[in-house]
Amino acid sequence: MSIPDYMQCAEDHQSVLVVVQPVGIVPEDQFFRIYKRISSVCQQSIRSSQRLLYIRYRHHYPPENNEWGDFQTHRKVVGLIAITTCASAKEWPQTSERFHGQKEVFGSTLYDSRLLVFGLQGEIAEQHRTDVAFYPDCDSCPDLERRVEDFVESIFIVLESKRLDRTTDKSGDKIPLLCVPFEKKDFVGLDTDSRHYKKRCQGRMRKHVGDLCLQAGMLQDALVHYHMAVELLRSVNDFLWLGAALEGLCSASVIFHYPGGTAGKRAARKPSISQAADSGKRHRPGALTTNGINADTSSEIGRAKNCLSPEDIIEKYKEAISYYGKYKNAGVIELEACVKAVRVLAIQKRAMEASEFLQNAVYINLGQLSEEEKIQRYSVLSELYDLIGFHRKSAFFKRVAAMQCVAPTIPEPGWRACYKLLLETLPGYCLSLDPKDFSKGTHHGWAAVQMRLLHELVYASRRMGNPGLSVRHLSFLLQTMLDFLSDQEKKEVTQSLENYTSKCPGGMEVITLPDGLKFPPVPFTKLPIVRFVKLLNLPVSLRPHKVKGLLGENMSSKSPFIYSPIILHNRGDERCKKIDFQWVQGAVCEVQLMVYNPMPFELRVENMGLLTSGAEFESLPAALALPAESGLYPVTLVGVPRTVGSITVNGYHTSVFGVNSDCLLEGLPGVKTGGCMVEVVPSLPRLLLSTSLPRSPHVAASEDISSSVALQLFNGETQTLTVTLDNIGTETLETLELSSKIISTKEKLLGDILNWDIQEAQSHLPLLPGCSLSLTVNIRVKLDFSGQENLLPDLSDDGISVTGLPISSPLRQVLKPRPESKALSADPGKNEKSTCHVKTLEAVMTFKYSGGGGHVEGFYRELCLGIHVDVEPSVFFTRVSTLPATSMRQCHLLLDVFNSTEHELTINAKNNQDLLLYASECQRMAIQVDKFEFESVCVQPEQSQQQWETERQQAQGSLINSTLIHPSLQREGEASVEGVLNQLVLDHLQLAPLQWDVLVNGKQCDCDIVTDCRVGDPVSLEVKLTNHSKKEVGPLALTLVAFQDYQNGIQNHDLQDAVTFIGSNTFYIDKVNPTFSSTCTGALLFLYTGDFYLSIKFQDDSTRRDLPPAFFGLPTVHIRALESPIENGA
Amino acid sequence: MAVCVAVIAKENYPLYIRSVPTQNELKFHYTVHTSLDVVEEKVSAVGKALADQRELYLGLLYPTEDYKVYGYVTNSKVKFVIVVDSSNTSLRDNEIRSMFRKLHNSFTDVMCNPFYNPGDAIQSRAFDSVVSGMMVQAC
Repeated sequence: MSIPDYMQCAEDHQSVLVVVQPVGIVPEDQFFRIYKRISSVCQQSIRSSQRLLYIRYRHHYPPENNEWGDFQTHRKVVGLIAITTCASAKEWPQTSERFHGQKEVFGSTLYDSRLLVFGLQGEIAEQHRTDVAFYPDCDSCPDLERRVEDFVESIFIVLESKRLDRTTDKSGDKIPLLCVPFEKKDFVGLDTDSRHYKKRCQGRMRKHVGDLCLQAGMLQDALVHYHMAVELLRSVNDFLWLGAALEGLCSASVIFHYPGGTAGKRAARKPSISQAADSGKRHRPGALTTNGINADTSSEIGRAKNCLSPEDIIEKYKEAISYYGKYKNAGVIELEACVKAVRVLAIQKRAMEASEFLQNAVYINLGQLSEEEKIQRYSVLSELYDLIGFHRKSAFFKRVAAMQCVAPTIPEPGWRACYKLLLETLPGYCLSLDPKDFSKGTHHGWAAVQMRLLHELVYASRRMGNPGLSVRHLSFLLQTMLDFLSDQEKKEVTQSLENYTSKCPGGMEVITLPDGLKFPPVPFTKLPIVRFVKLLNLPVSLRPHKVKGLLGENMSSKSPFIYSPIILHNRGDERCKKIDFQWVQGAVCEVQLMVYNPMPFELRVENMGLLTSGAEFESLPAALALPAESGLYPVTLVGVPRTVGSITVNGYHTSVFGVNSDCLLEGLPGVKTGGCMVEVVPSLPRLLLSTSLPRSPHVAASEDISSSVALQLFNGETQTLTVTLDNIGTETLETLELSSKIISTKEKLLGDILNWDIQEAQSHLPLLPGCSLSLTVNIRVKLDFSGQENLLPDLSDDGISVTGLPISSPLRQVLKPRPESKALSADPGKNEKSTCHVKTLEAVMTFKYSGGGGHVEGFYRELCLGIHVDVEPSVFFTRVSTLPATSMRQCHLLLDVFNSTEHELTINAKNNQDLLLYASECQRMAIQVDKFEFESVCVQPEQSQQQWETERQQAQGSLINSTLIHPSLQREGEASVEGVLNQLVLDHLQLAPLQWDVLVNGKQCDCDIVTDCRVGDPVSLEVKLTNHSKKEVGPLALTLVAFQDYQNGIQNHDLQDAVTFIGSNTFYIDKVNPTFSSTCTGALLFLYTGDFYLSIKFQDDSTRRDLPPAFFGLPTVHIRALESPIENGA
Repeated sequence: MAVCVAVIAKENYPLYIRSVPTQNELKFHYTVHTSLDVVEEKVSAVGKALADQRELYLGLLYPTEDYKVYGYVTNSKVKFVIVVDSSNTSLRDNEIRSMFRKLHNSFTDVMCNPFYNPGDAIQSRAFDSVVSGMMVQAC
């Protein structure tokens, strides 16, 4: 006997063995269908008695094992059921013949046999034979089970008779010696009459009877017989049979203690039947039983005595096995005994002892085993180890079995079987093949052996011809064992992965094996490792801005409170946090990842893109090559949102080594994000700005500026800048607004630098995609023209100046005395001029534009143009003073102009003659200006003094301008006196609020106007005072004085003869209320021809002292008295 | 005398494993790994009784054809496994015990290192030398 039955268990000792075999040609599936039905009849209660018969069915049984039937009767084939198909009556004899042949094989031990014929019909099928049953086909055999039951019953009858036969024939007759096959030759020539031999025969027979009793369901008797056999055989040192007797004792005890069976998985026993059968046994001794008619107390007591305790069972098993161990040829018996003992121990949960039995079983040498047997043996060992909870050991043996499947000695390696067995080892090695189990926390299990197993899985699946599977396993290996792989191994693994994926690319689909096992996808979250995910805002020029009013609504809708100290702490879902900027539909948006490559070589990541949910997002994949063992490496992934809504970035997908992975951020440990949800606003137009001036190399001060230009201008110069806006987006530009801001500068600036005509540009709207519009912007720089530098030449040495004061600036005051500072800066002044005096102005033009869907939603974009102007000084007004003009309404402004440039320039003011100034030359120029009137600003309270002044200055500055021309450079500009004029000068330039009009003969007369009149005619003179001030004026008294001017400095006041007043030469003006006017009239008579002047003087009156003298500037009347027409005519 | 010394974490993954270089290292991995079954069995069996007065030394875990595997479990469930050659019959139980004690002391020193992160593989030179001492000693 060489083939062990690893599935045996202790309770098999009480079963009878029936072999079911096909005869002739029987389709396999059909056979097994029948076999299954037959084997359902596995236990049978015998009608005549309370006993149960257990049947073990085998469809294959080696005849040599049958030869051990005397040793242990459950190994004996006692029944044969042959199954055959027979199409026609012709085949019948042949079939019958075959059946008999089959019977011959087990002939010596068979109690009974049956033949089941399928398909045969007709007269042969009509005949009634007990040993043959005819069925039309395998589906229509309703009484099959009943027939099997009959068959089993007939076996029982034979068994029972044999038992009785053996039990009773102890009377003196010679007891035959039962022996096992290998013993037969040992007993040749042995003295059969010795006591020793007789005892041996008796002992063996006792044991045999015990077996039969056990099979026949007489557990008690069996125990008694076994005990006797043990005693007999022990005395004659018949160790093999002693072992068998002990094992029989153990089996019977196990059957008694564990009526549920020890086989575990094979829950073949029907509990209901065994319940009824065992009910007697399970009752405690002496207890009353309902069906206890034949359960007499004596047998109960005996049972308890004969039956082994659970501990004893193991002891006896140990003993039996040690006896078996003495015989080389009983290896199978020993092995099977070990297996049976282990099963019992597993039930008793005594793993340590079970492992000892198993350890022993491992060493049992069964001689040359076929590969298949080895596999079977290792599998069973693995199963048994599993049974006792030694999962690692179980996995170890399973793996050995798997390796055995593909041993090099096997001509056709069973890779499929190997793979299947390897998969079964996974739990033992704490491997789940689901990468999710490995993503959290520390590594589970023994990496070295796990790696080995994975390598084997990869290899087996490849040899199996399933490259997809091997790619999956290899990916898993790389992903989960990365920390344990050496650099060399990493290289090897990735290389083979690349080899495999070249044939079968790895993907994200779940691989399902035919048997339903699922392999989840393995995303390469460690190749590369992502540490940080950050959604980037759009570039400044493309950012959407919300129109203010609408934004406020949004804010208020969130919460009814303006401020609440209760903040919802939802740090946990940081990833769902909304980001405070928006993306724009149709615009390229970016997400920055910080990644690093843990590999010792360059990692090529292809097709890296974003995984998003929410609004539609078109990801634009990128390919990157990360250097070996790179540190954190920024990677920007881009995509275009296609629809409006919110987008959540869930993860990214990569293709590494030909394996496509979708890595979800939520599964990644140690990834930081600044929120992954972003709102997408409807699309907006996109403008590209270009200017007529070269782009600036200057980096603009503020990051918001998308482009900037730089130019260099002389102070006062104007430059035209053409801004071209191209609509390069897909939306129509609908609105365009323009504003400008001057970046704070210390320089005092006169007027706006930038001015433009937006209307002209807006007339082009809407601007279709691809079109462009241009806008002209004037850049005018007007810095202070006052020469605050003391190093400038000063023409202060004149006495003409009325005011005679230098331009008052605090700096100037401080720097006194002047001569010193002048000396100091005499020489270095030249150098400084070119560098230091260049002043910088920066301004930002902001284009706000909108259109398309975004416009409807209230979004706009901003485009900023930075303008950087280097202002070179042109001219300075170093000194300003006034001279009264001949007219009271006019005045001369004297300006000392200094040309600080290195070029000569021409100055033209108010159509005066051009004044040519050479470089660094200073000249004085006089400009006749009209005086100004200040209606709004009279003498106001002091608080607004400063402001008032500024306003006044501005008002005046705008009027007094001089044009500068640089002939050599073809450049021109305007210099403004704004800011140069000081209080004193202004006072002079100011038109008095009291307006005096002198009318001669009803004609207005002023300084330069000569009024003609005739000698002898009375000349009416009217003096009108209009009060523009806010106070009432007067009363005033005026005196009229006539004189002649000889134009040589001599004035002749003695004109009583030439001029005579008609009436009084004194006028009296009463109070004049504001905005009212008062007129007083008089008359003169010129007696001679000549040029006469009339000066109107005020009489010294207390009232006019309150007011400044300038208020009382009355024109001198110039009258030319001519001959009367008569004289003329004569 | 020892052919393999292993330290296994509470979660049953190796913190340290060293075997004689002449032999297949993976074989010892398997040997030590499968011995964990026995360790667990023994610990759970004892654990039922008196957990605090438990003997740390587990004794012979199982003999294989070529080796004997001994086990030791600290109170923090860190396991030490020493594999010795079966042919070395002169080795007594007491010697094995003392080896484990030495190993335990050295392991305690490793754990006391403030720079050692519990759960990481042991990379201590001092521990290495102790293990080396066991592997060459009294061959």
